Amino acid sequence: MTAPRLWVRLAPVLALLAVVSCAPQRKELPPDVLVVSQEQQASWVRNFNPLTPATAARWPTLAGVYEPLFVYNSVQAKQVPWLATGFEWRDGGLLLRVTTRSGVRWSDGRDFDAGDVAFTFDLLRRHKALDRRGCWGFLQSVTAVDDRTVDFRFQRVFVPGFDEIAAVQIVPEHVWASIEDPVRFPNEHPVATGPFTEVLVFRNQVYELGRNPYYWQKDKPAVRALRFPAYPSNDRANLALVFDEVDWAGNFIPAIDRVYVQRAPERHGYWFPCTAGSIFLYANTTREPFSDVRVRKALSMAVDRTLLVDVALHRYSRPADATGLSDAYAALRDTVAVGMGDWVRFDPDRASRMLDEAGYLRGTDGFRRSPGGGAWRYDVLVVSGWSDWVRAAQVIVRGLRAIGVDASVRTYDFAAWFQRVQEGDFDLSLGWSFEGPAPYHAYRYLMASSTLKPVGTPSLGNWHRYASPTADSLLGAFERATEPAMQRELGDRLQRLFASEAPAIPLYPNPSWAEYAKGRFEGFPSREEPYADPSPNKFDRGEPLLILTALRPRTERP
Amino acid sequence: MSGPLHAPRMGPIELLWDAVRSDRRALSGAIILAVFLAVAVFGPHIVGDATALVGIPLQPPSWEHWLGTNGQGQDVFAQLVVGTRVSLAIGFTVGLLVVLVGALVGVPAGYFGGKVDGALSGLANVFLVLPGLPLAIVIAAYLPSGPVTLGLVLVVTGWAWNARVLRSQALALRRRDFVAAARVSGESRLRILAVEVLPNMTSVIVAQVIGSTVYAIGAQVGLEFLGLGDVSAVTWGTNLYWAQNDSALLTGAWWTFAPTGLCVALVGFALTQLNAGFDEITNPRLRLERAWRTFLGDRGRGVERSTPVVRDHD
Amino acid sequence: MNYLLRRLFFYASAAWTAVTLNFFLPRLMPGDPATALFARFSGQMTPEALTAMREALGFTNEPLGRQYLTYLQHVLRGDLGISISKFPSPVVDVIGEGLRWTLFLAGTGVVLSFVIGSLLGVIAAWWRRGWVDQWLPSVFSFIGAFPYFWLAMFALWWFGFTLGWFPLGHAYADDTVPGWTLEFVADVLRHAALPLATVVLATLGGWLLTMRNAMITVLGSDHVNLARAKGLEPRSVMLRYAARNALLPSITGFGMALGYVLGGSLLTEVVFSYPGQGYLLVQAVRSQDYPLMQGIFLFITLAVLAANWLVDLATWWLDARTRESAS
Repeated sequence: MTAPRLWVRLAPVLALLAVVSCAPQRKELPPDVLVVSQEQQASWVRNFNPLTPATAARWPTLAGVYEPLFVYNSVQAKQVPWLATGFEWRDGGLLLRVTTRSGVRWSDGRDFDAGDVAFTFDLLRRHKALDRRGCWGFLQSVTAVDDRTVDFRFQRVFVPGFDEIAAVQIVPEHVWASIEDPVRFPNEHPVATGPFTEVLVFRNQVYELGRNPYYWQKDKPAVRALRFPAYPSNDRANLALVFDEVDWAGNFIPAIDRVYVQRAPERHGYWFPCTAGSIFLYANTTREPFSDVRVRKALSMAVDRTLLVDVALHRYSRPADATGLSDAYAALRDTVAVGMGDWVRFDPDRASRMLDEAGYLRGTDGFRRSPGGGAWRYDVLVVSGWSDWVRAAQVIVRGLRAIGVDASVRTYDFAAWFQRVQEGDFDLSLGWSFEGPAPYHAYRYLMASSTLKPVGTPSLGNWHRYASPTADSLLGAFERATEPAMQRELGDRLQRLFASEAPAIPLYPNPSWAEYAKGRFEGFPSREEPYADPSPNKFDRGEPLLILTALRPRTERP
Repeated sequence: MSGPLHAPRMGPIELLWDAVRSDRRALSGAIILAVFLAVAVFGPHIVGDATALVGIPLQPPSWEHWLGTNGQGQDVFAQLVVGTRVSLAIGFTVGLLVVLVGALVGVPAGYFGGKVDGALSGLANVFLVLPGLPLAIVIAAYLPSGPVTLGLVLVVTGWAWNARVLRSQALALRRRDFVAAARVSGESRLRILAVEVLPNMTSVIVAQVIGSTVYAIGAQVGLEFLGLGDVSAVTWGTNLYWAQNDSALLTGAWWTFAPTGLCVALVGFALTQLNAGFDEITNPRLRLERAWRTFLGDRGRGVERSTPVVRDHD
Repeated sequence: MNYLLRRLFFYASAAWTAVTLNFFLPRLMPGDPATALFARFSGQMTPEALTAMREALGFTNEPLGRQYLTYLQHVLRGDLGISISKFPSPVVDVIGEGLRWTLFLAGTGVVLSFVIGSLLGVIAAWWRRGWVDQWLPSVFSFIGAFPYFWLAMFALWWFGFTLGWFPLGHAYADDTVPGWTLEFVADVLRHAALPLATVVLATLGGWLLTMRNAMITVLGSDHVNLARAKGLEPRSVMLRYAARNALLPSITGFGMALGYVLGGSLLTEVVFSYPGQGYLLVQAVRSQDYPLMQGIFLFITLAVLAANWLVDLATWWLDARTRESAS
């Protein structure tokens, strides 16, 4: 065989290569299709069941396809009437009367009415697995009084229950009444009230949703369709974002100004308000010496939060204050409580002095010990693979070592970590907070005896296992307070209580991630126009609906 | 017949030394390997704490940080050096263990034959045909992450090939005159195994250990890359895991993943070269072949990475 | 024929081993899939809702033996349960299309690397001490020493990210409609180019060496010398006589290589966000989705076993022909 002949043989291969290289390069995205990346999945599974208690349903299901009675705007801290137009408390807080919106139609053209709301809640009552907000823990009955009015009767006065009722997605009775097993129902062809209800394309690597032909907000949405490419990881989604293949995402991006914005400053924007809960260092208060408030405060003062935020979060957040609340409560923050927070400022010398005075002295090895006890040797638990946490823990450990605590970072797989913190089997661990519309939600899981479970019993929150009698009475009063002014007052007192008792050690408020192609669409919330939380991740109480109905494609292409 | 084919009774070190002295490839492999071993032993003392946060994250290489900093602001060079120790330690340990398990299954199977062989080599063949990486992922997923888990997983998924090779070697030895002679003279079977058979397998075992180490390092790096190792430890695999996790591609931080991959490849390549040279020197069949070829004036050296496979079907 | 039947029995027992491992492994370990599921709601699900979910998912307290029997029955029926992380989709549906892409990537990779590697091996052996023979074996065994996924990362970074020659992931562009159109096929090939190249590059060396060495042995044999002496055209001697006979050892290794390449291509898929099983498996592991994990492992194993069976058939056929032509 001679050389030319070899090339002849290779000709088909070369031809193939030619075809491949001539294949269309990156296509321009249609100007009115919004490409969203929120979920990270290797491939899509078709599920639009808004009630199913897993993240099995695709992202837009909860805030795009289906809608709740009220949408919670966490930036303005208010409930925006959505499928409902108003509510009032009656019978001294035992009855909640909600008025539903008229003129709303399901995407199949049928009318939405109060009966659908009553039906949805009845569905939750009959299928406990669907009631992920635990509404039937405080509800007694739900009845449609007429087409426009629903009565929620409570077992006891429980004002915070309103926030849970407000957030439940409403499904159409005429479709769901005949579904045998609504828990497993994949709802492949959703009939809903939201702005985007028509499944145009569904393949395992991409799907598209089109507009609801009967949407109740006039001339909305302005976006023609939503497209969702499947990216398996943060990293892949970020690449797509940088290459203008995604318009809206809620991902962590390192060095975002350099990596994303500077590539195309006129087209790329982001806003990371610190509203996604707070990250805490939880100390197990059932164990010595963490039951001592002086120890908790000293540990807190040993942590250099400024460095931590630099290293772990690329300065996207700020050091926490002594209320332990994220900026979702910015409007409700109590300045007195913040002023009490000298124990969240980095001051290792003072921390050492405090521990010396409390009688926890250093041994010959340089580590402190409780009187009559062994050296303080503790693991700081984090989830393996959660890089921000791992880095934060490294900073914490350095700080603790400096004041004489033999601390080390210990990583566990998520499930193992979660089991430990839930059962209270740890000394120190990082963890998130549980924030809802009112400070009530956050503090209930930080210091209420109602959330306190014995060590060994899995607990939803309150992993550090702390209960304060004062907190109990304040929270109890909150449950019965229907007046906003009263709620405000109680919220302030809760904050001061937290700042003085230091049940847990707040580290930083967690940023709410949001990157967007402002060159293709206008109307994304931003620092200048903070009309809602900008992140697609805040879907739990319907907030993305505010954005999806506000976005407009830019007609002139930059 | 037992004369020329009866491999000289040398220890593994002598055998390797022999190979390094007389084969160019073995020599080059050994030199690269020696450098890495030196780094593994002394390096960590020189570079200090690799987890220290020394600077701004994702800085490109500079005089201060030879290979820049990673996404956490740690020195990439220090991490590479410290990672060398852990990765090589796991690699060589697992390499040894894999061969040990393989020998425990393969040698009795080949030597005793019959039902023992049927059961043991059946087991080995089953494990050989199950796809290794998915199996490793599934097992690693359930155990607490750490070097022990990693080692265990690699042994479970890697022993079968060694068992197969060692079995056929034992099978071949069983048919040899000197073993037969020992058997006739009434020595116990275990004694024959220990005194006559095993020493004659030294060269194969050494070759298998080297080969298995290549496997162990590669598979370990792969699993750790997927986040199935202990991600807070500093190893080559976790370095790559963090590089990926900290968006090395997005930020263009090639220095966080390129050097590590290069090191993995260099070690793998060195071991392969060493093995190729070693095989040629010690494998009697190859030696014979070579001599024969030279004699016949054949076109040149024929190097077979011979994997003696004795078919169990005919 | 007897041989083929025996192999079939062997594969059946291998499959059974996989199923059994599949069942017992997860259950021997601590942890609880419902916990992980629970977690994703960051505490927004009540304990009652969780208990109800567990019942719906069939995590009961029956004795292990009975659970095993039930499991076997279900597997035989092709019912691999319901994915936990993608509840309520059946595992078979979740795996569905993905397996096709994995098999496409790994299968094409193995075949390409086998063909190219063996051809180069033939060339290397035919022109001994030519540049192919001198350089390629070392170059490829060096490339082969890199971890697959590292090559993939590097290729993606350089050819995809920096130069922009190739797409950064997925099996085809999002707005290309799948179908047997030229556009779609070209698009698929463009997307597969980088992943395939890394798989092929990483495994080429093995085939090259095997083929080269086998060829050298065969080239020295009487059979080939006779053909040469008869004055047959050299190319015909090289391909018809020598290469065909030298192919047998390579083919024997083919089945095993498939399992190996498949593992590697899973890692490559992760890097290229290729919609195959690779990332799905990793995700299933991370979310402790036992049923999905079991399902993927089982499907991959069965695919590998089937491929091995096909290779056995090919070997048997080739063997028979060789014997025929020899006699």
